[in-house]
Amino acid sequence: MPRRGLLFLLVPLAGLAELGGQFYVSHRAPRPEEWREVRATLAGLRKSDELVVVAPLWAEPLARHAFGDELMPLAHVARPDESGFARAIEVSVLGQHAPELAGWRVVAEERHGRFSFRTLSNPAPEAVSFDFVDHVKPEQLEVFEGRTPCRFNPRATVSNGSLGGNPTFPAERFQCGGGEWFFAGVTVIDDDHEYRPRRCIWAHPPPGGPLVLRFRDVPLGGKIRGFGGLPWLLFRDSVGAPPVEIEVRVDGASIGTHLHRDEQGWAPFTFATGRAGTRASVEFEIRSTSIKDRHFCFQADTR
Amino acid sequence: MKRLRQLLQSSLDPAIALLLAGGYVALLLSTSRNLGYARDEGFYFQAARSYEGWFELLWKSPKLAFEPQAVDRFWSANNEHPAFVKSLFALSHKWLYSGLHLIREEGTSFRFPGMLLSGLATAVTYLWGRRISGRLAGLVGALSFALMPRVFYHAHLDCFDMPVAAMWLFTTYAYYRSTHGGGLRWALFTGVLYGFLLNTKHNSWLLPPALIAHFVLARGEGIWRELHVGRMRAPLALVCMALIGPAVFYATWPWIWHDTGRRLAAYVAFHTGHEYYNMEFLGRTYWKPPMPLGYAWVMTVATVPAVTLLLFAIGLALGLRRAVAVRVPWFDRWFSAKLRRPEPAVPAPLERDFFSVELLWLLCMLTSYAPWLSKNTPIFGGTKHWITAYPFLCLFAAQGFARVARSLSELAPRVVAKRAIALGLAVSVIVAPLAITLSSHPWGLSAYTPIVGGAPGGATLGLNRTFWGYTTGSVQDFLNREAPPNTAVFVHDTAMQSWDQMVRDGRLRSDLRGAWTPAQSSFALYHHEPHMGRVDYQIWVDYRTLSPAYVGAHDGVPVIWVYRRPAP
Repeated sequence: MPRRGLLFLLVPLAGLAELGGQFYVSHRAPRPEEWREVRATLAGLRKSDELVVVAPLWAEPLARHAFGDELMPLAHVARPDESGFARAIEVSVLGQHAPELAGWRVVAEERHGRFSFRTLSNPAPEAVSFDFVDHVKPEQLEVFEGRTPCRFNPRATVSNGSLGGNPTFPAERFQCGGGEWFFAGVTVIDDDHEYRPRRCIWAHPPPGGPLVLRFRDVPLGGKIRGFGGLPWLLFRDSVGAPPVEIEVRVDGASIGTHLHRDEQGWAPFTFATGRAGTRASVEFEIRSTSIKDRHFCFQADTR
Repeated sequence: MKRLRQLLQSSLDPAIALLLAGGYVALLLSTSRNLGYARDEGFYFQAARSYEGWFELLWKSPKLAFEPQAVDRFWSANNEHPAFVKSLFALSHKWLYSGLHLIREEGTSFRFPGMLLSGLATAVTYLWGRRISGRLAGLVGALSFALMPRVFYHAHLDCFDMPVAAMWLFTTYAYYRSTHGGGLRWALFTGVLYGFLLNTKHNSWLLPPALIAHFVLARGEGIWRELHVGRMRAPLALVCMALIGPAVFYATWPWIWHDTGRRLAAYVAFHTGHEYYNMEFLGRTYWKPPMPLGYAWVMTVATVPAVTLLLFAIGLALGLRRAVAVRVPWFDRWFSAKLRRPEPAVPAPLERDFFSVELLWLLCMLTSYAPWLSKNTPIFGGTKHWITAYPFLCLFAAQGFARVARSLSELAPRVVAKRAIALGLAVSVIVAPLAITLSSHPWGLSAYTPIVGGAPGGATLGLNRTFWGYTTGSVQDFLNREAPPNTAVFVHDTAMQSWDQMVRDGRLRSDLRGAWTPAQSSFALYHHEPHMGRVDYQIWVDYRTLSPAYVGAHDGVPVIWVYRRPAP
């Protein structure tokens, strides 16, 4: 038997190896019912408001289905970033780890079947004293189009436009004049990091002057930090459009202005308050030289 | 007795080919019911219904049917694609569903011609492989083709991708037969088939360059002498393609019967300037040039069973070696001398024949992949765009199989044992593609081969999870069971025509209504692609929940999920 002939034995072996490989890979990942079975484990591990992160990311819909909104609320899933969280629980399968938690300290780790649960501690957490997105309500916020108040409507008609249309315009919103696009309210947009979700305050500059959001009695930290962006799918090619400016004022005094260009994607801004530990009114003024298609949405907190 | 044996022998291969075609069509029919209708299918259902109206008019009032107003009325639908296959969809619906009631589901009657052409493509792959590589090798080649997961998925659809792969193969096979003693009959047949290929899909524009290149390269240096003395004769089949092809194309596409120049220009412009859709590849969504040059190759490796690719590689290597021996004999001699091997024999005529046919296969493959050598070619359709290459890939695989079988059979002293080895080898190289393909259904576009870790591996690598919104078929039972009466369901990426067809076919309850936006709905579907994420988020904010009521997953990888609007 020539050596080359023996080499050809690799062909049937490759076929059989592929068959075995198919069996292995098709049974590797947990099924939806297995995700549901570990909900109690996660609920037991979650002592307070820990962030739940899923690795690999593609499995997150299974986790949301199995764990529910209670363990994975919107504010966590569509977070601006992880810096405000002191602890996180990583639920991982297939030996994957969440890249956003790299550098966090592992506090505890346990395995349940094909799942691994790691509790991690943020080495440099920044405690958030006030998240503006959580307070888009008339109790603490007034909204103006120029100097004209925008009325709060708790039951506005919800609209959304599928793939090419607007993000969901929520039922609770401060409606300004000029059309349904001009309001302040909480929604979720897609960002420039492969269309990840970002919960934010819709702040399209209205026709009658800049959009002003005035939050009363805000417990200030050392800085006001935030992100701004436009829905990435719609504006990823929008280079050279008029930028959107967001100016932040504390008790009427400007502490900084961020100039946002469409192509920046979900871009951060930070301004020092100089008044950590005090309470003050905080204003965000959003303006642009053009109000056409300025679908600006921002998140901000003080920490 | 001798005549009977001869008769049996001569009809054995056609019988095997028929069995292959019939078996494949039967398999496709039996697995069609839970495969939801893809986005484009919805548009072609609509077009086929319109064309069917014209065929009815043609039957009742032929004179009226040829009037420009009547032609425009019925044939303007979906005029960016030619008409042949959509006409088959229409006639299948008219005769097999409405007329003879042979097919009980309307959507399947539209799909049937695509299934039939896919079955015939399997048969022709066998017949060609049988001629070149032997009976068992031909069978392995044909089954390797039929059992590519993406081929199996597309073979179900009322779309053009498998039909164009089939028509390309038929035309090329006819061309081959015409140049191998087939004479005028096969040449004329090639011309007619090319006309139908032209009228199937624009991939057809790439075949003449492949055949002309084959003619030039297969002739070798002799062509220069012929050119010099002015006696070069092009193959009759090429002449027939040039003369008969366009005539058949024109005759069978009523839309271009008048205003021909402008309409043809619009057709060409649509495809040469096609817009760029989004496609995820290795964790990044591409929507404009430059497109990744590795796309076609990586996706081929990730979706074609590895053992098929291995056989293909062996077959290709043998073919290249043969090409060197035939076309560059001095190199062959020099190389043998370098390795201190005996001087190679002058290639026999049979070797030259093999070289010619393998060159034809290779050129068909290369021209099918060639558009993806440009960074400007869209990648949105995934593997279906170069699916015309796959029959030829499998013909090379058949050659590879024949070589491996020959070598391994030398292990055995007896004929029976040799046959058993060959048969065992055949089983060993088909069983994995069979398992992969059956397991991929009904998630064809989400399926990846074990070499990249299957569906979970594909998801981790950031390869496209799904497109075309066809996986609604995988949640139809959940919707039928859970949705309250008269529920409006947001259909997301499923075309409304596809949704409507599912309702007409009884796959979905007749009281369920398709909705265009989440806000109009109480149940919402989401088919995952990264750039579609914003639709998921629209549902979250609108429904005030992030938790899907149901997740349709393939091998543990979420592909489609369904939200239920919580009670206020």
